[in-house]
Amino acid sequence: MGLPIRQQSGAEGERVARSDVHALSEASDDTLAGRAADGDTVAFEVLVRRHGPLMRAYAARMLGSTYESDDVVQETFVTAWRRLGELQEGAAVKSWLMRILSRRCLDRIRARHEYDDVTEVDAAAPADTGPEHLTEVRTANEALGRALDGLPELQRRCWVLREVGQYSYDEIAQELDIPVSTVRGQLARGRRRLLEAMEDWR
Amino acid sequence: MTDPYLPGDELIDGHTLDELSDYLARGRTPADPSIDGSPECRAALESLARLSRTTRDLLDAEAEQSSADDGWVGRILDGIRLDVQSGRRVPLAHPDPSADLALTEGAVRALVRGVGDGIDGVIVGRCRLDGELETIGSPIAVHVEISVRYGDPLDAVAAEVREAVAAELAQHAEVNVASVDVTVTDVRAGRAPDGGLA
Repeated sequence: MGLPIRQQSGAEGERVARSDVHALSEASDDTLAGRAADGDTVAFEVLVRRHGPLMRAYAARMLGSTYESDDVVQETFVTAWRRLGELQEGAAVKSWLMRILSRRCLDRIRARHEYDDVTEVDAAAPADTGPEHLTEVRTANEALGRALDGLPELQRRCWVLREVGQYSYDEIAQELDIPVSTVRGQLARGRRRLLEAMEDWR
Repeated sequence: MTDPYLPGDELIDGHTLDELSDYLARGRTPADPSIDGSPECRAALESLARLSRTTRDLLDAEAEQSSADDGWVGRILDGIRLDVQSGRRVPLAHPDPSADLALTEGAVRALVRGVGDGIDGVIVGRCRLDGELETIGSPIAVHVEISVRYGDPLDAVAAEVREAVAAELAQHAEVNVASVDVTVTDVRAGRAPDGGLA
């Protein structure tokens, strides 16, 4: 494959060693995305280490399972590697990765056919306000994390897509194949419940 | 559940929470005096903004906890290494006409990165090779993007990269380098000798 047939001098090995993950860790996303598009796996590794953790957290919130979410993040990076040449603005690589990831998560969600009956979704009773109130919560993050866990799935997904994935109402509706009014309603309910949880915590 | 800003679907000084959320998402423009002038609305906007911030903070905190463990990163890299695009084939001259020697375009780019990264303070970004790379001796225009450490003289560094790349390609890839364009696309805070950011 990409191997030079002629043997390079010994100096080549030293140069390659210098371009290690540590040396590249101070490079900007733009620089790294450019290199990675040129086939540099080391630059790509720095991008994976830099953005992968947030992507894992995001996918876990979207899919509710770390087993499945790790798969999805992995698929996202493979897709990104193949399509990096199409990325015009290397500096935008993070939001580009988040978009690919969101789409992958949505594919998985759609495949489960959970939202085929929207009337049922709209009528769904709010999740019980049980365990999150029982133990004391120390930080705002913890309070919100529990409140998010307590939200019905669709509310949680709409919220994460909107707030972290930067999706518009229309985009969420399109991707989940539900009416915009449903998205609006889900976000309104989710928002209210999360605000309540934050107020209770304070 | 006694929060004054969450009165069910009731209005907050004439506005629904939904409206206020949209207003916030639009960056509070165009300015709506009936919202901005209302202490209740402003308080609700503040709660909404805090909720958005906390949501992002939460994900960041969860990201930090998961961190990038080596096994996980390794699996991703194993997946992509099988899929390296090596680009065009760059033939090399050899005295024996029956020998068919070549580098790949990807390997030539790796040479450029290697020699550029070897210069103190430089990190090479994208590299483009314009010309008939597949024909021996055909003139090639090389375009290299570089990131330079803050404080280093841009012109001198760019000139150094230009010369080093031209020499390297002539020697190791036998590419007929017609020109080397070096563009500084990024100036970054470098590492101080103690390893921290300068």
